[in-house]
Amino acid sequence: MPRLNSRADLEELRKEILAKRDPNKPRITVCSGTACSASGARQVAVALEEEIRKRGLDAEVELKKTGCHGFCEKGPLVVVYPQEICYVRVRPEDVPEIVQSVKENRIISRLLYVGPGKERISRESEIPFYKYQKRIVFGLNRQVDPKSIEDYIASGGYGALAKALFEMSPEQVLEEIKKADLRGRGGGGFPAGKKWETARNALGEPKYVIVNCDEGDPGAYMDRSLMEGNPHRVLEGLIIGAYAIGAREGFIYVREEYPLAVENVKVAIKQAEEYGLLGENILGSGFDFHVRVHRGAGAFVSGESTALMNAIEGRVGEPRMKYIHTAVSGIKGKPSCLNNVETWANVPLIIEHGADWFRSIGTEKSKGTKIFSLVGKVNDTGLVEVPMGITLRDIIYKIGGGIKGGKKFKAVQTGGPSGGVIPEEYLDTPVDFDRLVELGSMMGSGGMIVMDEDTCMVDIARFFVGFLLEESCGKCVPCREGLRVLHSILTDICEGRGRDEDLKLIEEIAETMKETSLCALGTTAANPVLTTLKYFRSEYEAHIRERRCPAKVCKSLIAYYIDPEACQACGACLKNCPVGAVEGGEDEIHRIDQDKCTKCGTCYEVCAFNAVKKISGEPVPPSPPRGTRPRAKR
Amino acid sequence: MVELGCHHCGYRWNYRGESAFYATCPRCHYKVRIPNQKVDQTGELGKIGLEEHSKNLTGIAKIVNTVVSQFGYDENMLIQILLTFQKNFGWIPREVLSEVSKQLGVPLTRVYQVATFYKAFSLAPVGKHKIRVCMGTSCKVRGAPVILERLEGLLGIKAGETTPDLRFTLETVNCLGCCALGPVVVVDGDYWGNLTVRNVEKVVRSYR
Repeated sequence: MPRLNSRADLEELRKEILAKRDPNKPRITVCSGTACSASGARQVAVALEEEIRKRGLDAEVELKKTGCHGFCEKGPLVVVYPQEICYVRVRPEDVPEIVQSVKENRIISRLLYVGPGKERISRESEIPFYKYQKRIVFGLNRQVDPKSIEDYIASGGYGALAKALFEMSPEQVLEEIKKADLRGRGGGGFPAGKKWETARNALGEPKYVIVNCDEGDPGAYMDRSLMEGNPHRVLEGLIIGAYAIGAREGFIYVREEYPLAVENVKVAIKQAEEYGLLGENILGSGFDFHVRVHRGAGAFVSGESTALMNAIEGRVGEPRMKYIHTAVSGIKGKPSCLNNVETWANVPLIIEHGADWFRSIGTEKSKGTKIFSLVGKVNDTGLVEVPMGITLRDIIYKIGGGIKGGKKFKAVQTGGPSGGVIPEEYLDTPVDFDRLVELGSMMGSGGMIVMDEDTCMVDIARFFVGFLLEESCGKCVPCREGLRVLHSILTDICEGRGRDEDLKLIEEIAETMKETSLCALGTTAANPVLTTLKYFRSEYEAHIRERRCPAKVCKSLIAYYIDPEACQACGACLKNCPVGAVEGGEDEIHRIDQDKCTKCGTCYEVCAFNAVKKISGEPVPPSPPRGTRPRAKR
Repeated sequence: MVELGCHHCGYRWNYRGESAFYATCPRCHYKVRIPNQKVDQTGELGKIGLEEHSKNLTGIAKIVNTVVSQFGYDENMLIQILLTFQKNFGWIPREVLSEVSKQLGVPLTRVYQVATFYKAFSLAPVGKHKIRVCMGTSCKVRGAPVILERLEGLLGIKAGETTPDLRFTLETVNCLGCCALGPVVVVDGDYWGNLTVRNVEKVVRSYR
């Protein structure tokens, strides 16, 4: 492929690619994101390839392995265009039928998504999960092959870069971003335009731009999906940013746990360099820009901006004091502008459609859309992109399809370990940067973990504190010691050794950590504890005063016993108990030996008659004498 | 022999010592870094170029050199270099660490600091099969702790340990990003989703 040396070359290439493609030609796309691959998309893709070849349909049907569609719950996903028929949970056995149906232009109804009213929905855009979303950043993922730059160019890609380079000066690009009021999607919500301006005006050469794809929040994976599914959009945003800031060198920092993202972004960089969209003299404009990929080595704290820059320098990823912004003094003491993957991915859109278009979406202070990863006890798990200002209720119930198993909603946790839990009474709060902070939580990178009545809030607080305790780099005392003490107090409460004065102590430690920690990890570390304490104080009190876990999760406070009225003596629990704590025989009601029981919950899970009960805060009822026969057989 | 200049007092002199990393300024006793290009194995400085030098290496030094030279002897690439070893060997032996330190011109303390700070590196041999249990928030609320406990019971080791026969290493990870499949366990890159206590044993058995 010859290099593109001007804007006209790019346009010509685009026309050439589009002319080669027939929009009415049947196209089968398979989601190849990590989640779908894990549930078997790779085998489906291989089977499709073989089936198409076997039938000699190579010329008539196109097969495309796209990036993550976002609807991970129902993976592997196969979508047939141009009718846009979405097949869910496809298995390799279904492949021949799908290929046949494409040829005959019909729909296989058994593979369609089943809606809330048991109706079968064929069109992808009509599925409630997709219907209520606004996918401006994420939408292209399901149409392009991440390993093909031609796909991206055909869909209008790199047009924004050409526009920026040839129609706008760096100052104008900067103004546009500032006007759009784009706020950092990584969590803090700092205005990106402001950061860019600081970096641009800072003294010192060379300047660096960095993509932060060190997405460590448990339960959040939208950055990975963008990086895997559409790396060219991130790259385009980065090049535009570099042009505006005056940087000649850039870094993409990706977690080592995301091998596919590393692979795809490396391919994307190589392709962009071949096409003259990256490297020396981009599109003949005289602008040079180089990008390197850095793999992270697994440390949550290195997602923090100063720590990340240390990691890029090959050092330990510990944060430093930020008297001076990284935009002024970052990598090797040079101005470095770091933004999150999603922030960079928004840039081409703003340049292409203009700041006014971007401002028209969202709320007064938070513009545009945000991708959330809606996970936990919700029916339709996946990545959802919604305009800012949508309510939590809409996200969870309209898009997510409500709570799994018809259970009761208890809380939603946003912002990962730095965020907090939001209880039911605030479900109608519009989601934007500032409203979430008001509730004591934060946007974070966009994790949204739904919890039902079976989740113990004290246990969740302990989980997050434990997570942060492990991930704290240990450089500053408040974070290192504060977390250790918080964790031991919370463990005490969970294990039934809590005291009344603990709650006050927790609040005191949390306050100190907030005021005195070095980086955001420490200052926000107490959020999960404080919000659970604020909204679910009664649960803490039940643990402490009654030695009772209302959600029946904390092991030290619960017991399992077999209800003699319901037990059918089937022996399932007896066979599966890993410690041999279940006693009984054929035709005899089973009993649990409380001394031997480790409370692993296996019996509870395997019992088909709901005879195994969990109790908390009350004495275990006495078991019937040996040899008692089950009720139905008596 | 190598010509050095002190960053502190500006004094310039010809260093003839044996140290590979740092020389002491004769005037102000400030520690001066010796540029790594001019160091070679024999201690004779400045004579043999790096390429020439790498031909004479043997054993571990040679293996390390192939990786280090690939990254252009750039000390900023320390993490990337160690990641390459970790990926290829499964763990990083002590000899490799000291060799990397030598060839990169980075103090061993810093190599060790990096190798122990990041989770991706392992300084002890790992089992043939690596079992990673996702303990992310989503997997947690869906029951990952029970799965982990069952695995610990089955293998007779705690998370972070390796079975004595070097068959399995059990690890926990914070989030694998397959929250829809939770609880998830990954064994050697194979994803096992929607696990229950019951089928954990089946998973383990398939790798025995």
